[in-house]
Amino acid sequence: MSADPARVPVPRTTGAESPAEVVAAVRRRAGPPAAWWGMVVLIASEATLFGAFIGTYYYLRFETPVWPPLGIPEPKVVVPLILIGCLALTAPPMLLAYRAAAAGRLRAARGYLVLALVVQAGYFAFEVHDFRDQLHTYGITRNAYSSIYYTLLGADHAHVLLGILFTAWLLAKLAGGLTTYRVNAAQAIAWYWVAVILLTFAVIGTLLSARV
Amino acid sequence: MAVVVPPRPAGAEYVERLERQWASRPGVLGWLTTTDHKRIGLLYFWTTLAFFGAGGVEALIMRTQLSTPNEHVVSPGTYDELFSMHGITMIFFFIIPMTTGAFGNYLIPLMIGARDMAFPRMNALSYWIFLASGLFIYTSLFMGMAPNAGWFDYVPLASRQFDPGRNIDFYCLGIIFNSIASTLTAGQFIVTIFKSRAPGMSLNRMPLFCFAFLAASLGLLFALPVLSANTIFLFLDRNIGTHFFDPARGGSPLLWQHLFWIFGHPEVYILIVPAFGIATSIIPAFTQRRLTAFPLVAIAELLVVFIGFGVWAHHMFATGMPTISMVFFAAATAMVVIPSTIQVFAWCMSMVTGSARFRTPLLFIAGFIFMFVTGGLTGIMFLAIPFDQQVTDTYFIIAHFHYIIFGAAVFPIFGGMYFWFPKVTGRMYFERPGQISFWIIFVGTNLLFFPMHIVGLLGMTRRVYTYPGGLGWTAFNFAETVGGFITLVGILLLFGNLVVSYFRAPRADQDPWHGPTLEWTTTSPPPEYNFAVVPTVTSPYPNWDDADRERDRAKLARGVLVLDEGHEQPAVTPVDGRFAEIVEMPNESPWPVVLAISLALVFTMLLIEKYVIAGLMGILCLITLLAWSWKEPQE
Repeated sequence: MSADPARVPVPRTTGAESPAEVVAAVRRRAGPPAAWWGMVVLIASEATLFGAFIGTYYYLRFETPVWPPLGIPEPKVVVPLILIGCLALTAPPMLLAYRAAAAGRLRAARGYLVLALVVQAGYFAFEVHDFRDQLHTYGITRNAYSSIYYTLLGADHAHVLLGILFTAWLLAKLAGGLTTYRVNAAQAIAWYWVAVILLTFAVIGTLLSARV
Repeated sequence: MAVVVPPRPAGAEYVERLERQWASRPGVLGWLTTTDHKRIGLLYFWTTLAFFGAGGVEALIMRTQLSTPNEHVVSPGTYDELFSMHGITMIFFFIIPMTTGAFGNYLIPLMIGARDMAFPRMNALSYWIFLASGLFIYTSLFMGMAPNAGWFDYVPLASRQFDPGRNIDFYCLGIIFNSIASTLTAGQFIVTIFKSRAPGMSLNRMPLFCFAFLAASLGLLFALPVLSANTIFLFLDRNIGTHFFDPARGGSPLLWQHLFWIFGHPEVYILIVPAFGIATSIIPAFTQRRLTAFPLVAIAELLVVFIGFGVWAHHMFATGMPTISMVFFAAATAMVVIPSTIQVFAWCMSMVTGSARFRTPLLFIAGFIFMFVTGGLTGIMFLAIPFDQQVTDTYFIIAHFHYIIFGAAVFPIFGGMYFWFPKVTGRMYFERPGQISFWIIFVGTNLLFFPMHIVGLLGMTRRVYTYPGGLGWTAFNFAETVGGFITLVGILLLFGNLVVSYFRAPRADQDPWHGPTLEWTTTSPPPEYNFAVVPTVTSPYPNWDDADRERDRAKLARGVLVLDEGHEQPAVTPVDGRFAEIVEMPNESPWPVVLAISLALVFTMLLIEKYVIAGLMGILCLITLLAWSWKEPQE
């Protein structure tokens, strides 16, 4: 004895039970779901955190006569730029994975996610390796420059790792079929990943500015 | 003989169905796993009240210590811990969680016609993290290692060299831990306000209370990460050996001050803007008129917080900044006057042109306006840079910001407690003791804080443990202490009144004040599902739109927009409030508590420098999140 369902003018999006129903419901609703808004809020807060880090970097720089301080090599340019290029290449597959999921093409969505995940994991492995190498050259406790350098870089790597965990989680979820919840998640995670790439650009740009 | 069966009210079958679907689990387990915003609001209320008690006791011990010259009630070290914990408690564990956590959680969904928050489990998580962070930081007090470098914790005093114990590590980790809870709450409110309003409630029909909470949430969202960055730096400096604040290796102690006040000044507005929201709810109810200049007040609420991000360095005029910077920040600070004044005029005009009934809630709002204007006037005085440099770190500052924080934030909280007491408990409160409690608190706080202006000008610096006689400070200090205890009496009377009212007072109907907003259209206390039908909204004062309420009753009778196929809630477009979709909300989850405990373990391990175990506990958090997301809301 449910209340009159025919009188509801909008889709019951989360009630969709088959991939076809999910696609239809997602298409009919107006505007992005709460999940997307939640992700925007998270990104805003993360961006502010990085804003504080980057602001600190320049504050310390303008307090210091020689930057980077004597005895510390200038940051490398070529390798980080190639790496960030690889990272940027993973944005299209993440966005396409969301498109595919929203269109009900589950296989394609999973394929794009696997592709992105492989590159993301490769990037992360190399960066962790490189991070350890650099720590051997000069440690985080050397001076203010090394402190903010490693903090900024480490925070960025941590966010890449979080993005990778999100992607892996989404892949596992999509292996079990399509629901509205998962389409929403695909959208939010694709956005998060794009934000991580942009943050990485900002971080690498800041660190490389020491050469200027 | 025919049996007369009383007719069932129209739509009763739908209401029964909703009752069954939304019934919460009984007992303690029900509270531990609840996702009901009203229950979470009450949990926040009781917890923050306990912290308010703790912060109040700390204040009274300090006042006793300062009541006469050369007093030795506590040791100097304990005194340092007391003033640090008093500030930390009142700001992070009382006012923010009381306004956002308790008032916001309980009232926002009711005011916007929603059945729950946009992310109910995250809402529960923010409460449990808040509780855990409070217990975490209070553990330090009982271990004799409480933060002892003040609530703003300046370096180098707070660096390992000068403060080698765990005191400041408790501060860093406790603040970061607490920030997670506040960020979750802020994000929650932003999304809820944008997405979960009743269809038809476009932004220009949203109650000013919600605008105020939106402003505070945006403030928290953009201010807290800066504090987190700062405390991360300090933690690294102290425990890893980095040099962010160490000038010998290229760091800068002023960096701490900049980052702290980039957070800290918006924070002041984050504390008082929700109180503005409470005022804009109480004034229309007791003047029975719409608030003057609705759009201007809505914009002003947002503007106060926005401008608040550009004024931080006025806390640092004594640090030797270049004159040009000081003048810039003084000018920016002057701008805050504009939105503040708009609001003060709007409140006063509404009271003057409406038929004001000075019941207890409105008395507290009138007191709030007086205190806010007084504190605001002393605030403007700091724009005169030489004057600021003269009185910085004296009791004049303490007087100023207590007028703002006690007068402008806590008075409306008290007023709000009386105002919504009938809604939350279903009972009225006793009016006469309520009014007496207001007058005692009003006299007490003014006696407590006003003389601080004078001793500040006479040269008494803040944070002194004691002072010699013969400086002309003694009488003022004694009066302040008396004022402190009078305030205590008033507060005890206030809570005593509410407790007795809860058991003895007559029952309240659903709308004792003829209030303007949607919470007064539902029963007192509201049912678990808040509203039986999605309410019709055509103005920012929906409870005064009788035709719309009639329409709601008709909808219920016909079963239109009851949404009873599960834990259903409508979602809308953010600006126009167009009906977008119906979503199934999550319900009762054990994972928020588990995740909060796991996070507490992470922070405890970081505190005792067991970083590997902290990492393992971090993995435990991830596993908890995996379990959390395993079952989707619609399953």
